[in-house]
Amino acid sequence: MGTEEIIWNGVAAFLVLCIYTFLYKDNPFYKFAEHLVVGVSAGYFAVILYYNGFVPKLITPLKQGQWVYIIPAILGMMMWTRFSKKWSWLSRFSLAFYIGSGTGFAIPLYMQNYVLRQFSSSMLPMGFSSWALFCNILIIVGVLSALVYFFFSKEHTGIFGGTAKIGIWTLMIGFGAGFGLTVMGRISLLAERVVFLREYLLELKYYLYLLFKYGLPL
Amino acid sequence: MNFYERMMNLDRRWIYLVIGLVVVITAIFPFDVPLYVTPEVRSIYDYIESLNPGDVLMIGVDYAPEVMAELHPMTYAISRQCFKKDVKLLLCCLHQNGPGMVEQVISQVSKEYNKVNGVDYVYLGYKPYPAITILAMGQNFRIPFPEDYYGKPLDSYPMMRGLTNFSNVKAIINISGGSGTEYWINYANGRYNAKLAIGVTGVMTSDYYPFLQSGQIFGLIGGMKGASEYEYLAEKAGYISKAKNQLSAYKTMPIQTTSHLVVIFFIVVGNIGFFMSKKKKSRI
Amino acid sequence: MKKLCWKILLLPLFIYFIFFSYSLASATETSTETISANQWFNSQRINVFIILIVFFAFVLYFIQKAKRGGSLFVRRIAGLDAIEDAVGRATEMGKPILYISGIEDMDNLQTVASMIILGNVAEMVAAYDVPLIVPVCLPFVVTVAEESVKQGYAKAGRPEAYNRNNVRYLTSEQFAYAAGVNGIMLREKPAANFMFGSFYAESLLMAETGLSTGAIQVAGTANIHQLPFFVVACDFTLIGEELFAASAYLSREPKLLGSLKASDLAKFLIMVMLVFGVLLETFGITKFTYWFFVQ
Repeated sequence: MGTEEIIWNGVAAFLVLCIYTFLYKDNPFYKFAEHLVVGVSAGYFAVILYYNGFVPKLITPLKQGQWVYIIPAILGMMMWTRFSKKWSWLSRFSLAFYIGSGTGFAIPLYMQNYVLRQFSSSMLPMGFSSWALFCNILIIVGVLSALVYFFFSKEHTGIFGGTAKIGIWTLMIGFGAGFGLTVMGRISLLAERVVFLREYLLELKYYLYLLFKYGLPL
Repeated sequence: MNFYERMMNLDRRWIYLVIGLVVVITAIFPFDVPLYVTPEVRSIYDYIESLNPGDVLMIGVDYAPEVMAELHPMTYAISRQCFKKDVKLLLCCLHQNGPGMVEQVISQVSKEYNKVNGVDYVYLGYKPYPAITILAMGQNFRIPFPEDYYGKPLDSYPMMRGLTNFSNVKAIINISGGSGTEYWINYANGRYNAKLAIGVTGVMTSDYYPFLQSGQIFGLIGGMKGASEYEYLAEKAGYISKAKNQLSAYKTMPIQTTSHLVVIFFIVVGNIGFFMSKKKKSRI
Repeated sequence: MKKLCWKILLLPLFIYFIFFSYSLASATETSTETISANQWFNSQRINVFIILIVFFAFVLYFIQKAKRGGSLFVRRIAGLDAIEDAVGRATEMGKPILYISGIEDMDNLQTVASMIILGNVAEMVAAYDVPLIVPVCLPFVVTVAEESVKQGYAKAGRPEAYNRNNVRYLTSEQFAYAAGVNGIMLREKPAANFMFGSFYAESLLMAETGLSTGAIQVAGTANIHQLPFFVVACDFTLIGEELFAASAYLSREPKLLGSLKASDLAKFLIMVMLVFGVLLETFGITKFTYWFFVQ
């Protein structure tokens, strides 16, 4: 690693340790690191949005004489009227266009991908002659019982209530799997940071050894 | 307070300390962990193996630095495999904090394999509003991305000749740490029937197994475990090298193993404490 | 409703015979050369179109029925009993109640549902003269929360008991908001914490802190990733659609109630057709399943 990398990775290592001090209790180091990341990400996003959104999608087309882009520009500016009590009604036009077009795109596709495709792939053959067929039974029982649990037009009593109970057990098993994967995900982030700190310390040790031996920064 | 109540009410900072120590000790003294490669990871690897030199694979990189630990290894491993096989890459980013992530990967990996921008890969850059961007890309990549990340017109690149939309790429691999995957499934696969595989964080993995089962995606790399499986396959085939320190996910598997064992221990201890206290209270 | 259910039970048979018999009758023919052109109507998505039309018809029918005052039965959501118990407990202990409405804006349906439940909680709380603290994450939600609480107190006949200072804007930053809420929990030590709305990673931070103070906690969210944390740290959790069902149950608003009944009918239809499809698949008949498969 060169001098520049050592310095910047050192800053990164310092900020990692600042965040981890929160595990003991809240302190100024943690507050500093948290505010820094919030500020930097907000500033970064603003710049990225300007150069990747505004410039190619509004400023450049207008400069090229594509005046039709004035319409979305006006709709966008009308959204800002939300902050004014007198003019906030104007923002409803932009919201209506945005929500209307978004919903128009989304509803058929969500119905297709989240309902129909899942529905058709849940129609599986059942049987006991193979492990795959037996697993299909588990899938079908799980889907039906979970649907019964979320049925609000009938009280959960009798057989219906029993099926709903199987449904909530199915959901809880799913939540348990999600919880376990979340634990894995969080441990991954910790593990990667610890490996980063270990490698940085080794590189720093080597860098300092070379610096003291040869007296020159790399 | 009896022993069981003390077990249940253990200050969480002791748990943090134990897990921290276990992670640090395992990081200093690592060991090899046997790995089982799951079918959903292998299907992505095998699909890329089946591609021919000159085929174009699209990678949608939609994550920010906070989930880099889990997703960066996937992006590196897939890029290295593709470049080794002379498969061309078309990359884009739909997360506002992600453009730098893609740039870091592509600039490093292209140097390793002497790949040229515009000939072997094109990095389209970032655009906001993933839904609209994906819908537009389905018609023509040039609609949302008239220029690439570096500001050059797409048509000036030899690789972009004949590349119009999703139907001209062999598959799309979306590596995402947020809601980006939903948009790719809904719009790229749902609307344009593009062949899609995904790499997601551990937290999101369980949400996408139904899509794997229904065939909407042909592969799923879940979290760091999935990334380590992919690296294992790529390393066996020689696409990535342990000696060059390219196995970033695989080397954290010992840490995952030991820390998960500690977490399981605490869960068991806590539950024993819970049930024994409950039993004691019911006796009283 | 029962007659409609019987008609729906026969619907899969009807669809199956229509499409199965159609495919038997048609014979393949070789066409002459054609030139493709953009089409106005994608015939490969006709199944999506039909199902959307049927679902929209259900929604409109039930909304109209609710508006006309027709009886639409919705079962009691178990979490709502837990809310009443929690309010009672807070009254006995003389401690306040904390209500957290999530971190999303009013364009999120979960926040809308949360505001409806807040109005009802405010009505319950007003009757017992228990302080209701509502820390809010977004400025626009503050005005809606103030209005909900004020109306709740007014409905209970105690408008003078409404304290505007109890509905507080903290910050729009996710973890700073969680830190602020944790501070309120540790200082004010509420007897009950209600968390209804859209939550992300801050959910466990708040739920754990509430658990450590010994408060009764009732939570509800449709964000699946946060449900395991609420289930573990709270006494009662409304899972997913139960949050919207609770708001429909409490408000009896025709649009909410109509949508809920329509989705129930759609679920019933799905269950029936799923059983039918599974039986056909088990006997090797795939035409019915294929009709739902999107090209």
